[in-house]
Amino acid sequence: MERRDFFKKAAVVAGAAAVGSNTAEAGITRQPIDNRKVSPVAFPEKRPLIMYSDRPPLLETPRDVFTSVLTPNDQFFVRWHMPDIPTHIDPDTFTISVNGLVEKELKISLNDLKTKFEQVEVTAVLQCGGNSRSAFQPIAGGIQWGSGAMGCATWKGVRLRDLLDQAGLKKDAEWIGFNGSEKAAYYETPNFIRELHLEELDDHVILAYQMNGEDLPYLNGYPLRLVIPGIYSDSWVKMLSNITVTNEYKHLFFMDVAYRVPDNECECETHEKKAPKTKPITKMNVKSVIGYPTRNSLVNLKSHVVVRGVAFDDGHGIKKVLVSTDAGKTWDEAILDDGKLGRYAYRAFRYPFKPETLGKVTIMTKAINNIGEEQPLAKDIKWNHGGYKYNGIDEVTVEVI
Amino acid sequence: MKKLILITALLASPLFAQVKEKVEVPYVPFPVKMGKGFDAVQANCLMCHSFGYIINQGRQSKKFWRGKVDKMIVHFKAPIGEEAAKAVTEYLYEHYGNGKLK
Repeated sequence: MERRDFFKKAAVVAGAAAVGSNTAEAGITRQPIDNRKVSPVAFPEKRPLIMYSDRPPLLETPRDVFTSVLTPNDQFFVRWHMPDIPTHIDPDTFTISVNGLVEKELKISLNDLKTKFEQVEVTAVLQCGGNSRSAFQPIAGGIQWGSGAMGCATWKGVRLRDLLDQAGLKKDAEWIGFNGSEKAAYYETPNFIRELHLEELDDHVILAYQMNGEDLPYLNGYPLRLVIPGIYSDSWVKMLSNITVTNEYKHLFFMDVAYRVPDNECECETHEKKAPKTKPITKMNVKSVIGYPTRNSLVNLKSHVVVRGVAFDDGHGIKKVLVSTDAGKTWDEAILDDGKLGRYAYRAFRYPFKPETLGKVTIMTKAINNIGEEQPLAKDIKWNHGGYKYNGIDEVTVEVI
Repeated sequence: MKKLILITALLASPLFAQVKEKVEVPYVPFPVKMGKGFDAVQANCLMCHSFGYIINQGRQSKKFWRGKVDKMIVHFKAPIGEEAAKAVTEYLYEHYGNGKLK
C-alpha cells in the first residue's frame, strides 16, 4: 500500500464517527456505537487501536480485548487533554516535587521512589467518565466513545501517603493538587491540574511507575502517574510532575466545569432544561462489557460458544454477572473468575451458550455488585449533557449459521 | 566489602527506559469538508487540537458548536475574535450540524 493510501484509509476510518445518526428521539439512550474499525496507524508503544484524534492522542481499545482481567499495555486506551505531551523524559534526571504546606519540600528521583519507599501494587480499572458516551441521545458533547475507553492493569509504585508523610503535612493542609506535564498551545491556557481533598486519599492511592510489570507507556503517563482505584480516570493525572499541598481549593477548569454530572438523585437532566447544580463524577458505577463474541460474529448452530467478558464497579466488588440470550426474558448466571486480583480489578466472566436456532441472537450481560446495585437497560439510563457514567446492560448481536 | 561495592554499582546504574529516545506521535490527516469558514477553523482551532477532535464530537446543534467555541475562548484562553468565532460556528454547523439551532 502506498503511504498516501494508508493515511487516506486512516482518515476515512477516523472520520467515520462523525456520520452518526441524528434521527433518534430526544433522550432515548441506546447501545453505544460498536462498529468502529481499528485504525491502521499505530501510536508509540501501542498496537493499532480505534483512533479519534492524533493531537491530543485519543485511542480506544477494541471490544475483543475485554476477555481477560488484565488489559495489555499496548492495547490500553489513551486520553489526553492538551496537544503538547512531552515526548522524551530521561528517567535518570526526572524528579517529582512535593511542596506547598509541608515541613520539608521534596524532590524525589525515580530511583529513590523505587528504592527508598515501600513498594506496593494494586490491580485497578481505569475508565474514562465518558466511556460509552455514544449511547446518549441527543448526542452528548465530547468524544463519541464506544465501550473501550477503559482497561485494567496491575499498577506498581509507592503510596501517596508515604510521600506526604515524608514531606510532613502542615496543620492547615487540606487540598492536594496534582500537575501533569502536558502543555497547551497557549501559555494562558490552564494546566491540567486536579485537586483532591485529604479525606479522599486512602492507602490505595499510589504514584505508579509500572503497569503490568513494565514501564508505563508514554501515552499512559510515563514515567509516573496517579492511581486512584474506584474513581474515574480524569483524576488519575499522567506524567505527574508536581504535588502541591494547599489549604484552600483553587477553582480550576478541569475541576469546576469539566467531568461533572447533575447534582440530583438521578444525575439526569434534559437537553432543554439543564440541571442548575453539578457535581464531580468521582466513583464508578457497576458495569459489564462483553469481549467475545463481538458484533456480527458468526457462530455455528448447536456449537459450544463460550461468552466472555469483564465486570467491575468502584470497589464494592462484583457479586454476579447474569446473561440473557432471549431479549431479557430469562437470565442465567455466568461463571466468575476467582477474583484474586482484588476488588478494584475486573472480574472476568464466562458463560457457555449453545445456539439452538438459526439467525440473529442478542447476548445481554448484567453485572450486580456486592451492595445490590445492578446495570439498568440502556433505554432506562437518563441523559446528562456531558454523556458521563453510561453503564447500560451490554448487548452483542451475533448470527447463528 | 566486595558485596557493598556491587550494591552501590547497581544503584548507580542508569534506569532503563522502554523507549530510549524521543517518541514520535504520528500525524494523521482527517477528512476535511472544504467550505466557507474553513480558513477560520484552520487559523483558530487546529494549532491546539486535531480536526478529529472536532468531528468526533458527533453532529451537533448550532448552539452546541458556538458553546464549544466560547469554551475555547473563556476556559482555554484561545485568542479568537468575534468574527472568527462566528465563521467557525457557521462552518461547523453547516458541515457537522444536526439541523437544529438549539
